[in-house]
Amino acid sequence: MIGALAGLVLRACVVLAGAAITTFALLWHAPGDPALSIAEARYGTIVSEEVLDFIRAEAGFDGGFWSAFWAWLVPLLQGDFGQSSVNGRDVWPDLVTAMSYTFPLALVSLGIGLAISIPLALIATRRPGSWVDRGAVALASVGVAIPAFWLGLLLILLFAVQLGWLPAMGAETISHSILPALTLGFGIAASLTRIIRSGILEARGQPFLPAFRRRGVAPRDIARDHVAPHAAVPVVTVIGLELAFLLEGLVVVEVIFARPGLGSFLVNAIFARDFPKVQAVVILTAVIFVVVNLLIDLIYRRLDPRMEGRDA
Amino acid sequence: MLKVEGISVRRGGTPVLHDVSLALAPGATLAVVGESGAGKSTLIGAILGLIRCAAGQVTWTDAPAPKCRPALVMQEPRAAFNPHLSLRRSVMEPLAKQASAGDLNRLYRLCDGLELHPDLLDRRPNQVSIGQAQRMGILRALIAKSPLVLFDEPLSALDAATQKHTARLISDMQGQEGFAALIVTHDLGYAAAFADHIAVLRAGRIEEYSAARAFVEAPQTAYGRTLRDAAFSLGALERVA
Amino acid sequence: MTFTANGLSAVRSGRTILHPTDVTLKPGERVGLVGASGSGKSTLGHALVDGLRGAGTAVAHVPQSPDEALDPLRSMAYHWREAEIALGLAPDASRRTHLFEALQIGHGDMRKRPWGWSRGMQQRFVIAMALIGTPGVLVMDEPTSALDPVVAAGTMDLLEDYLAGRQTALVLITHDLGLAARRVSRLMVMDAGRIVEDAPTTRFLAAPATRAAKALCAHRNWLQLPC
Repeated sequence: MIGALAGLVLRACVVLAGAAITTFALLWHAPGDPALSIAEARYGTIVSEEVLDFIRAEAGFDGGFWSAFWAWLVPLLQGDFGQSSVNGRDVWPDLVTAMSYTFPLALVSLGIGLAISIPLALIATRRPGSWVDRGAVALASVGVAIPAFWLGLLLILLFAVQLGWLPAMGAETISHSILPALTLGFGIAASLTRIIRSGILEARGQPFLPAFRRRGVAPRDIARDHVAPHAAVPVVTVIGLELAFLLEGLVVVEVIFARPGLGSFLVNAIFARDFPKVQAVVILTAVIFVVVNLLIDLIYRRLDPRMEGRDA
Repeated sequence: MLKVEGISVRRGGTPVLHDVSLALAPGATLAVVGESGAGKSTLIGAILGLIRCAAGQVTWTDAPAPKCRPALVMQEPRAAFNPHLSLRRSVMEPLAKQASAGDLNRLYRLCDGLELHPDLLDRRPNQVSIGQAQRMGILRALIAKSPLVLFDEPLSALDAATQKHTARLISDMQGQEGFAALIVTHDLGYAAAFADHIAVLRAGRIEEYSAARAFVEAPQTAYGRTLRDAAFSLGALERVA
Repeated sequence: MTFTANGLSAVRSGRTILHPTDVTLKPGERVGLVGASGSGKSTLGHALVDGLRGAGTAVAHVPQSPDEALDPLRSMAYHWREAEIALGLAPDASRRTHLFEALQIGHGDMRKRPWGWSRGMQQRFVIAMALIGTPGVLVMDEPTSALDPVVAAGTMDLLEDYLAGRQTALVLITHDLGLAARRVSRLMVMDAGRIVEDAPTTRFLAAPATRAAKALCAHRNWLQLPC
């Protein structure tokens, strides 16, 4: 167990280091002069070569890739995300503000996804192959195929423009969060429904179930104690992967609904070549991703202890 | 012809086979019996050269070609075949080159000997009975005329009557083709009825090596007696009056 | 008093795999249900369990392999307690100790899950679980084929010792007439979804009447095969 945990943590470190170097390299080698982008974001006008040189020196660009990378990494290891190249403000407080918009939205979306997909999967699997089941599968397939930006615009058209029930843009009140959360939640529900459905069907095919029926165990108890845990194993794994989908969806949804948050924070930072900000978001999401997957791994081991002792 | 000299196999530090020596004369039949985990499958892997031995060596003196391997009949008949290929293609695979008229002749002769209707060759593995699939496996092992055929629990997927029928056919083919057979089995009844010698494998070691009839009448070791008495008790062997 | 189940039948995807069959068992009887694979003996075994239960007989079934009887995610203690609850019994440590001692699995760790036990011990645990409610009929489907011979023989011996003198009738389903002949006093032969022969073991072995029974008899003994 200890060894397996150490393995997981080591793997997490490798992922983080890889993510840090890769994004830094991608930003560095992106076409165009980063100093020019920063200057544009900072002053909004064409600036002289001296100013650009000043920006290059300030951001550590003049020493080459590795010196810039270390200049960013070393303070980070001490817990310092640095200052924005554009406005000179500390990145961390701005990041916290962004997170305070994004995380509740992400959790509510995940909740909506689960609240839709679990009952839907349960109803669908009551009679596999029935029209209810087929309908649920079809709905889920359509849901997976619909991109978040399109669904978001449709919801805005219907609820904000036509009906006028909900606000479309901004994040001032709770009601502003409803449409973005639904947009993300539907997408999550669509993909989870199919996973939960097949998890339940697979769990129902376990070879030992007839023996429990013959032993006189009540069907309700069999479903709760012997089918549900087996169905949960693949579902838990997928929820970890779902997180990647969620992060990606958040960026799109925040931009569509003009919400402040990690997505808008990241998009603005990329346009401005604000290295410290972009890197902060990347590191943050990588940490979240790694931690969530670590947790999922642990839950997985708890659900199915046969994993114990196998490859971490 | 086959000589296994003092082979040892370790897996992750633990010995799976320890100083195992066996010999098999041309045309002879040796049964290796033992419980699961005794190392029977590892022994087959080692003889085929699929598993590396920490010590000892496997030599095959009169192999027809320098790179030739013994033929193998596997335990699960259907799993032994590619489900998407016709049995004919799978069975002819060991021949590598384009099948000649002589090969086809041999194929049909073997089919006849194994009581397989040649039309079955055009079916897929899941379109024949499990007994037929196993005889197809035997056919594939025999097609390339290997003088040594390894059988890994060849009967355990079959029902009792089919087991005996298949065992009889293997024995008949052996009489006709003259190959030597090394049969790994947990069924002492089969071993006693069809092998010349029985080697008892226990926890990676050869516990006992005897002529088959002699073993059934009087095992030399306590463990050999345990195995034999279990076979009596399950009706796999009848006590000789 | 006898245990009777009438009109047992089964249809799978439109094909009758078990023709209407009546089975009567005497208390304490040892019956072998033999036949080639695909003859319908397991189907009859399942139908027998359901039919007898429907008729009010306490009946237990032991599947071929422990994989078909135990949930790998649940501990042995959980399985045991669940089986007691299904029978409406209060937990009784002495009953468990008694059965575990009879089947020699008293040293097994109940907190472990099935795969923490050897297969032989798992199978004995399943048998012990089947005996919790002292069933009138115990149906065992190929009890030896998933185990090594030494373990299988030991398990059968322990079970027979336990059942000796009790009222539980044992139905042994097997393709191996050699095994059945050594363990049962009455043989039922199945062929194509019907019982084609039903006779005391000695009489059956001396004079099998039907084609299926003759084939089984001819292939009973490894050392005396017909040529």
